[in-house]
Amino acid sequence: MAGGCSREAGLSRETSVRYLVGRLAWALLILLGTSAITFAIVFLVPGDPARVVAGPRADAETIATVRRELGLDRPVAVQYGWYLRRLVRGDLGRSYTTRQPVTELLRRRLPATATLACAGLAVAIVVGVGGALVTAALAGGWIDRVAFLGSLALLSTPVFWLGMLALYYVAFRWRLLPLGGAGGIRHLVLPALVLGLGTGAYYARLLHTNLVAVLGLDYIRAARARGVGTVRLVAVHALRNASLPLITVVGLDLAALMNGVVLTETVFHWPGLGRLAFDAVLGLDVPVIMGTVLLSATLVVLTNVAVDLIYRLVDPRIRLR
Amino acid sequence: MAKRGARGTLAAGLLMAAVLVAAALAGPVVAPYDPTVSAAPQLAEPMPPAAPFYLGTDDLGRDVLSRLLHGARISLLVGVVAMAVTVTIGTGVGLTAGYFGGAVDVLLMRCTDVMLAFPGLLLAVALVAVLRPSVWTIFVVIGLVSWTGVARVIRSEVLSLRERDFVLAARALGAGHARVLVRHVLPNTAPTIAVIAALSTSGTILLDTGLSFLGLGVPPPTPTWGRMIQEATTYYRVAPWLMLFPGLAVLFAVLTFNLIAYGLTRGGRAPAT
Amino acid sequence: MRRRRVRQRAPAAFASIPRTAASNSGPGGRLGARLIVLALALATTIPACFRGDRLEWPPRPRGEWRGGVLRLAAREDVPTLDPALGYDTRSWFFEQHLFETLVTYDDENALVPALAERWEVASDLRRYRFHLVPGVVFSDGSPLTAADIVGSLERVLDPRTRSQGAEYYRGIRGARDFIAGRTAQVAGLAAPDATTLTVELDAPDPLFLHKLALMFAAVVPATLARALGDDFASRPVGSGPFVLREWRRGERIVLARNPRYRRPGLPYLDGVVELVSVNDELAWLMFESGELDVAGIPPADFPAVKRDPGRAGQLLHATTLTTAYIGLNCEMPPLDDRRVRQAFNYAVSKTDLIALLAGRAVPARGIVPPNLPAYRSDVDGYPHDPARARALLAEAGRGDGFATELWTQGSDLDLKLAQKVQQDLARVGVTLAIKQVAWSAFLEAIRQPRTVPVFDLGWSADFPDPSNFLDVLFHSRQRDANNHTFYASAELDRLLDRARGLADRAERYRLYAEAERVLVEDAPVIFLYHPITYVIRHPRVHGYRIHALLPARLTEVWVDPDT
Repeated sequence: MAGGCSREAGLSRETSVRYLVGRLAWALLILLGTSAITFAIVFLVPGDPARVVAGPRADAETIATVRRELGLDRPVAVQYGWYLRRLVRGDLGRSYTTRQPVTELLRRRLPATATLACAGLAVAIVVGVGGALVTAALAGGWIDRVAFLGSLALLSTPVFWLGMLALYYVAFRWRLLPLGGAGGIRHLVLPALVLGLGTGAYYARLLHTNLVAVLGLDYIRAARARGVGTVRLVAVHALRNASLPLITVVGLDLAALMNGVVLTETVFHWPGLGRLAFDAVLGLDVPVIMGTVLLSATLVVLTNVAVDLIYRLVDPRIRLR
Repeated sequence: MAKRGARGTLAAGLLMAAVLVAAALAGPVVAPYDPTVSAAPQLAEPMPPAAPFYLGTDDLGRDVLSRLLHGARISLLVGVVAMAVTVTIGTGVGLTAGYFGGAVDVLLMRCTDVMLAFPGLLLAVALVAVLRPSVWTIFVVIGLVSWTGVARVIRSEVLSLRERDFVLAARALGAGHARVLVRHVLPNTAPTIAVIAALSTSGTILLDTGLSFLGLGVPPPTPTWGRMIQEATTYYRVAPWLMLFPGLAVLFAVLTFNLIAYGLTRGGRAPAT
Repeated sequence: MRRRRVRQRAPAAFASIPRTAASNSGPGGRLGARLIVLALALATTIPACFRGDRLEWPPRPRGEWRGGVLRLAAREDVPTLDPALGYDTRSWFFEQHLFETLVTYDDENALVPALAERWEVASDLRRYRFHLVPGVVFSDGSPLTAADIVGSLERVLDPRTRSQGAEYYRGIRGARDFIAGRTAQVAGLAAPDATTLTVELDAPDPLFLHKLALMFAAVVPATLARALGDDFASRPVGSGPFVLREWRRGERIVLARNPRYRRPGLPYLDGVVELVSVNDELAWLMFESGELDVAGIPPADFPAVKRDPGRAGQLLHATTLTTAYIGLNCEMPPLDDRRVRQAFNYAVSKTDLIALLAGRAVPARGIVPPNLPAYRSDVDGYPHDPARARALLAEAGRGDGFATELWTQGSDLDLKLAQKVQQDLARVGVTLAIKQVAWSAFLEAIRQPRTVPVFDLGWSADFPDPSNFLDVLFHSRQRDANNHTFYASAELDRLLDRARGLADRAERYRLYAEAERVLVEDAPVIFLYHPITYVIRHPRVHGYRIHALLPARLTEVWVDPDT
């Protein structure tokens, strides 16, 4: 086995590098596509961006000057080229409302969203794994049915409504936690819980199904025959196998998580990217909207690549398409 | 046991769907008040549930129950039509990619990957904001944002179906691609499509509610449930019923379609790919 | 969208997993991989959780003393601190504490000296001479001279600054040449010595002094502002009572006392801290728990607070010099018929709208707010009379009703009021659809002729003069600027033109009163209400007053922590 392992290890390093390069190239292509779509959307915006930047009281001459500066009189292809060139340099334009560079705005808001997203994800994993373990161990009987209905109900709840309920009862009526805004861990608890519960319910269902399937397999039954206890059985053996889909789902779910983040941030007034995007939408602050959309898409793509790599490192024998 | 449970789930889901449809059809007729007219004696102070306003009134003095019933129709309509758009686009793409394979498949899948990179709600928000909210915009935007998942599933279905005997036989007999697709492949994906349709509807309802909550849904004074929740945010501390009832309505509707979808899957009706 | 997309992958995921998972006993690596993900998640989470470091303020001395730190909160961040750029109340609130103007308003909206201790106006209202208070310095120690004022005004006029206040000073001689780039300086502005400023206008302007009270005319260190360019907005230097101590965008903005302020002993406060991105409900609850000193009152709580006799002493209110109205496009049929417009005015119940606002407004009988100094309007306005409305519509040949569209900016309040107006108009047979548009698109659209039939807007006075409403909004020449109703009346124009250059205030006001009568008769808008601002202050806050025209000034406010 030892020799086989080392040979495998040597092979895997080469294929890993090739794989990495391939994946990065693919990711770049996807990013190009997202930038094209984002750019196309900007064209759909009604109104004249030159006029918006110049202000409602500007005269025709000022507007013409602004238009020339922004390059709006050039053909589309040229504008796209300028756009890409600016993107590469990290210039996402300036906000229409505050005149600040969009990259600045995004950079300042990103940590708050990252915090919320990670905390929500952590909650989701805990709820998912915990829920699955409990229901799998107690498979059959009324707890299973209740858990099934409960998790389905959680999945069907709009996340912002859950947030408002939480705000009303936990924060306002019972005064257990603050009423929104950012600050310390106490402010993070409710939004993270709300964000993670729905996703967690989904993970629990997914994991549960796989766990039950795995628990019915031969080697598990053999282990049980050997006298291994249920808890150890479920937690150590079965979980390892069933967790593979979880990583896939967790990694690929970042886009879905971002959706929940936008709504949660609005309800709890969390100062992150979701709120930024929403406020920008209200004011039709196109550079900010597009910057946020592009940033989210980029993050999703990069996270997918990262997760694929972790996956690959973990088990080089698994071929991913 | 699983099968029996699944059948129970499906039955429950269908029953709830019947209630929803009844509310959508008969609601506006049965509703005691006009949902757009201030009926309460007092403005700016929502009234708690009490006769004659069984679910209370909102800050404009409008009856919550009537608004809820009218909302059923529009929310269901948006959910179903958007689902139709989603499933149509997604099935089209999935069928084409899975059946023809090769370069077409690669191209279509790359497009899908690009669309998948965008968080759906953000993209929908950006599009609706830019295109100005109206019922038609909502249908199209939700559909545009949601088709990717459908495409993937259909594609993997078709990939396996493509090699099956009956398809090869039909091709051997000289049937054209279109004929094979429509008469042989498509009907066999029908069970999957049924599941997807149900799941899609629950998703589109949630997405539309989210958009309405952010102020980008169907314009007022049409009472959609999402907008009712949004209007309730200012008053949730003094009038929590304003957000409670529309939220429960959404929960009911989404749960209905989720139950149907899970019932169809577990019941063994979905193909074991 | 979140759940739907993941679940649609589920059937395939379910299908493919058991086979691959079961075929290996699995190294501990997979569990490890999961733990890596979780660990990364927590690692990123924890550091970002600890924010909000405490601010240190000078300790309180013994005995008689006025000072303290005023704590406020606001929903949005401040857009800018550059007086040339700021064109909203949030920016102005801070700008007036960081900078000063030549003249300003007292509590009765009369002009009083600020940086200019006295001035002379020639009888032809074209030439002005200002004498500055001597010895004024900016907060960085550099002296404030008349040259800085010239530089500040030139900066506003400079097209590169893109200031929206440029139009107010275009009347200065040589300003147009300067804007067009033909001259390097504005000929009509001169600083004969460090404390004297002379201004010459192209035409007589009785409102020029008011224009110098606007924040656009705030004095900035001209060379420094030019050097810093766009960054001046975040690193302002002025001669006002406060300096900017810290500005964490999206979090908070902190002002500290300016030790070099020209008025001795002022300001009393050591500093002002305003938290931003705090929504109204949260701010209210923070006020209730004592974390804020002054706050607005959310609509949900207002009725209870208003009825509470114990709070009566803490509530402050002032009727603002603002008029909310619904504009009617006089060039788009059927609104081009005066009777239809009058019908609209009779159909909408203003008392209902004010009830929706929980009483925080005064019905509008005309366009000019009633508390404008010395101005007397005797228009009667339009009472709520749906029968009369229907009769007028029938007279105009629209007895069967018609459909039209209300464009609105779409804030919660706007939508609420719009829906009520919709109801009122439905009762007289007019179907009003509500169209929500983002602010910038809205502004763009109402400038286009024959595009927007009905729109929901308001106007806040720039300075306390009726011309700021009548002229700006309804003169036919303003159709490219702020006359979005495209109303054109020869009679109104005549009255306004006569009043414009008059030095005799009484005569001017008489002409404006006449003009308003004509205007209300023609009803180019639905006159709605004048909002009343309500603010609640903690008993430990002293000297806080709200102003009808300006944002609250904190120069003479102090906080007594023992109250």
